[in-house]
Amino acid sequence: MVAAREIYWNVGHEVIVPIYLFGLFAMAVSAWGFYRRIRVYRLGRPLDRFDRISLRITLMLKNMLTQCKVLREPGPGALHALFFWGFGLLFIGSLLIMVQADFLDPLFHLRFLTGGFYKLFSLLLDIAGGVAIVVLSGLLARRFIIKPVGLQTDREDYLIHTLLFSILITGFLVEGTRMASTEIGINPGLASFSPIGLGMGRLFLALSSIRLALVHRILWWLHFFLAMGFIALIPFTKLRHIFTIPANYLFTDLGPKGAIAAIDLEDESITQFGAARVADLSWKDIFDTDACTSCMRCQDQCPAWNTDKPLSPMKVIQQIGESAFGESGTGLVGLVGVDAIWSCTTCRACQDICPADIEHVNKILEMRRNLVLMEGAFPDNAVRTAFENLEVNANPFGLAHAGRGDWAEGLKISIMAIDADVEVLYFAGCYASFDRRNREVARSFVRICNAAGVKVSILGKEEKCCGEPPRKLGNEYLYQMTASQNIELIKGYGVQRIVTTCPHCYNTLGRDYRDLGLDVPVEHYTTFIAGLLSGGRLTLEPARFDFTYHDSCYLGRYMDIIAAPRQVMEQAGGRLTEMKKSGYGSFCCGAGGGRILAEEKLGSRINAARVEMAKETGAPLLVSNCPFCLTMFEDGIKTGGYEEELKVKDLAEIVAERIRMKSEG
Amino acid sequence: MKILVCVKQVPDMDSRFRPNAAGVWFDEADLDWRINEYDEYAVEQALQLKEQLWEAPEVTILSIGPDRVLEVIRKALAMGCDRGVHILDPEISMKDPWQVAGIIATYAGEEGFDLVFTGMQSQDRGSAQVGVLAAEMLGIPCVTTLVGFSFDDGVITARRELEGGTRGVVRLSPPVFFTCQSGLNFPRYPTLPNILKSKKKEIRTIQVEDLPASAPLSVTTGFYPPAKKGSGIVLEGELNGLADRLMEILRGKCAAVRL
Amino acid sequence: MRSGAAMKVLLIGEFREGKLLDSTYELIGFAALLGADMAMFLVGSDYRLPDWGGRLYLADAGKYGEYNPDLHKELILAAVRQEQPDYIVFSHSSYGWDLAPRVAASLRIAQVSEVVALAVEGFEVGCCNSRMRRTVKPATVQAVLTIQAGTFAPLKPGGTPQVEQLETTGKSGLEFVGYEPAEMKEVDLGRAEVIVSAGRGVGKKENITLITALAKALGGEVGATRPVVDAGWIEHSRQVGATGQTVAPGLYLACGISGAIQHLAGMKKSGFIIAINKDRDAPIGEVADVLVLADVVQLLQALIDRLKKTTASS
Repeated sequence: MVAAREIYWNVGHEVIVPIYLFGLFAMAVSAWGFYRRIRVYRLGRPLDRFDRISLRITLMLKNMLTQCKVLREPGPGALHALFFWGFGLLFIGSLLIMVQADFLDPLFHLRFLTGGFYKLFSLLLDIAGGVAIVVLSGLLARRFIIKPVGLQTDREDYLIHTLLFSILITGFLVEGTRMASTEIGINPGLASFSPIGLGMGRLFLALSSIRLALVHRILWWLHFFLAMGFIALIPFTKLRHIFTIPANYLFTDLGPKGAIAAIDLEDESITQFGAARVADLSWKDIFDTDACTSCMRCQDQCPAWNTDKPLSPMKVIQQIGESAFGESGTGLVGLVGVDAIWSCTTCRACQDICPADIEHVNKILEMRRNLVLMEGAFPDNAVRTAFENLEVNANPFGLAHAGRGDWAEGLKISIMAIDADVEVLYFAGCYASFDRRNREVARSFVRICNAAGVKVSILGKEEKCCGEPPRKLGNEYLYQMTASQNIELIKGYGVQRIVTTCPHCYNTLGRDYRDLGLDVPVEHYTTFIAGLLSGGRLTLEPARFDFTYHDSCYLGRYMDIIAAPRQVMEQAGGRLTEMKKSGYGSFCCGAGGGRILAEEKLGSRINAARVEMAKETGAPLLVSNCPFCLTMFEDGIKTGGYEEELKVKDLAEIVAERIRMKSEG
Repeated sequence: MKILVCVKQVPDMDSRFRPNAAGVWFDEADLDWRINEYDEYAVEQALQLKEQLWEAPEVTILSIGPDRVLEVIRKALAMGCDRGVHILDPEISMKDPWQVAGIIATYAGEEGFDLVFTGMQSQDRGSAQVGVLAAEMLGIPCVTTLVGFSFDDGVITARRELEGGTRGVVRLSPPVFFTCQSGLNFPRYPTLPNILKSKKKEIRTIQVEDLPASAPLSVTTGFYPPAKKGSGIVLEGELNGLADRLMEILRGKCAAVRL
Repeated sequence: MRSGAAMKVLLIGEFREGKLLDSTYELIGFAALLGADMAMFLVGSDYRLPDWGGRLYLADAGKYGEYNPDLHKELILAAVRQEQPDYIVFSHSSYGWDLAPRVAASLRIAQVSEVVALAVEGFEVGCCNSRMRRTVKPATVQAVLTIQAGTFAPLKPGGTPQVEQLETTGKSGLEFVGYEPAEMKEVDLGRAEVIVSAGRGVGKKENITLITALAKALGGEVGATRPVVDAGWIEHSRQVGATGQTVAPGLYLACGISGAIQHLAGMKKSGFIIAINKDRDAPIGEVADVLVLADVVQLLQALIDRLKKTTASS
């Protein structure tokens, strides 16, 4: 028997006219819906996300088809991925049918939905549909029965679930009624390749053929109109993400992670710095709000949200969307709220986990720029004082700049002003230079360089704050002032290589300073030490220790340095027990986003929460790689009263304690 | 209305001060400089008055010293002052309050200001004389230690801070010379548009040699750290040891600890 | 300074809200240190004459106002013309620093402000936030001096002054409306036996809880310096210093306080002063009986822990 089916069986080929008319109408409605939204995206400032188009398309296809970002959350992620593939296959199936039945067959008498291919086709689509229904049931149970905390459910969700279920079910019903007439009992070899249809069909066998034909026709049109309704509804509901998320993959930020546009201070035409209204953001920022499906993953990862601060990255995106598409003329600050804006630590966990590739962080930074640069407003007086100290003393503590190099007294290290002929410039940063606890890290690093025979100098009192904390708090002017002075100095000395013990300095000198003209390679000491070890310049005498490791945000998520520090610790003799949230899922210490300078007044302490997580591992030692984290953890351990059970050390200190000195000749 | 604000650039007070070669003032090497804190309140008060009067008044910012004082002039311009005057005098730190006041009075006298604001004293020398001396030279009333200011239809109600927190209330009309005290207001942080605008504002330079000079009325003969009284003891060392030692002392000095 | 004759000083006394201020006796003490012949000037009242038997140039405060710098200046100049002193000595107070330069300007003579000690030639004054000292020598025959409050021991010799009434027809450039009292003090630090005081060195507002905890553990009160109050970390009623409360508890713990002169003025008479500071050279070290060089926050925490243990075990 022929393995094929008569398309338009029972409804007749004449339906081509109305279905195309309705189809075009539905698509027109959809297009119009999107057109209206495009007008709103265009309220935003221009931004070039159309360069390197082939790379963009590749990324879009990869992210969309593999669902890799969605699968970052294994449970619901798998459900969605399966649904996507299932529904996708069904959609492709329908397209293939349309291509054959409306074009290839009538025009060229070509049929490919036959034989083995058609059997495979039928089986695949049945499985796809079946999986889709099962998975959709799972998603329905999650949303309406389990009800995860914080998941917003509204009328739209009821509508979409109903619509999707009915499309799938009517699809199988149509297949069933058709098979009941054309395949069951007639072409069992073929029928078995549509198992669900077969099952459905059996239910209708009792009907007379006339009744069956009528039921089939009704179901066919019902299925058709539901599908058309689906198409028309897309731009008006969450379903728009079907287009907006792949588009967001297409428009992804191809720049380095954490990059934010340097304001051109010479441009006299700029009257608004930062974002006060939606129109101050870019079109992509507004478009992001349409890609959001309120899945809540960003909120779940946010350290501020998890310590009862009023910041939810998801809400910020929604509020920007409300402001863009709504009637309210309220500025962004009024809608989002200053407490939420200032609570962000720029840890990037939200962006990292977002399946829609939404860029949360820079929107908040632009709002901060408006607050600081246009209104002179700060989260608290401590930040204002820190800014003034940075202007006067080039460090946030208000300590005399002349003492910045004092920590190196007595150590085998020179300053650039005396000896610039070195392999490496060690950019110590404010904390390592002035903070008592962090000076130990700087000293450890020098000891390591000495042991490895690396000739290193520091800028000493000429060094100024890298500018990262003020930049992340929105003070772009202060950042550019201090950065340009550092850059001039570094260039003046003809520095070839920079190493730093602070991930914030690392990101700033290595990435941000590129926009201001610095081209020198910058390394973080963790990979630098890994290089010394693998190159044989440094050998360690491993001494066994149990520890847990904190991936700092600016080293892990921002710079993808996750494995190297662990390898170094292993070589040092460490036995690692990972925290539940580690690697890319690491939980911020609370000091990023310039918040190291601010007072934490809302909610509970982020550093305390992270210290709890470290304690849970049972390890007696917490190892970190960032001066802010070290400061936060020392503080958190003290506040929690855990001094007997948990100690914190920097990776440099561990390595320095285990240097195997080379025996002399 | 023409308002003058006089500001001084002083070193950051957390600096380590060492006597200069002559031993009569601090060595300027490696110091961090900033605007005198008391003068910041003066700048802010002038700007608040300007805002109150619909931006009509013109605020001039004056500072005396070497080129580095341009930084404090620019800061005041960035806060919102209209124009700057730099009296170039690299030797200003060697001049006594009488000479400094004379320079200010000479300049101000020619311009005819309605109001002058300055800090009640400088953080480095702290003689608290310049403002009052300049006012006397100009022959205009002076109110010191300003912690409250209101301007109503040409009449100023000023509050002076007295010992114990009491305020003395005074009423008078321009021209007046004010010296400002901490607590008068909260100086604004310059916004970026104002910083950029300020780069275009005029800063006029006057060579101090072009102004009539006066002889100093007093002379500084020494600059040195205070002699240690010697009666107190200094404890230092590891934290826990210090805490234990301190507990011993407290036990002897505090009844509550003995209980 | 005339040679061969004793030094002459004119002391400018202070009168406020109907009372002769005690600082007036510090002027007498200072003059005694100089070994000078003293005369006094006062805008005050016959009913409140100083306990001192010297020549007093008195102007009526009822007529000329307790505060009226222009008129007071004229009256002082009249006294100066008659007395021809070598030094005109004021207290470095809100009255003194306001009035002294006007007198100096009118006479074109030197002024030395806030004298803290006598020097071999000239006078020693503080500078750079009290961290350093200068010696200043007047270059004029006469000079105006203002002396630091609370530094020179007051002297009340007793007796009744010989009063010479002064009048003037000068004009005033301002109108003195009156006094406004300070805010109600909910806390009377003056009664506390132990005060734990916070300075900028405690770092941030949240650390004030450590100060409060320590004060409670020691059975004392919390005090603060002006910058801490201005920063909003603590209410004004707890401010100790020239413009806050003057205290003299048996035990004063200055935590993270540098020792600016305005604060010292308010607490240096305390029985036993312990200062906790990272800076060896902080001016507080001059008045402290014990200076502990440590991180304020860490040491406070360590003390609180120990005190908790002692109360737990008792």
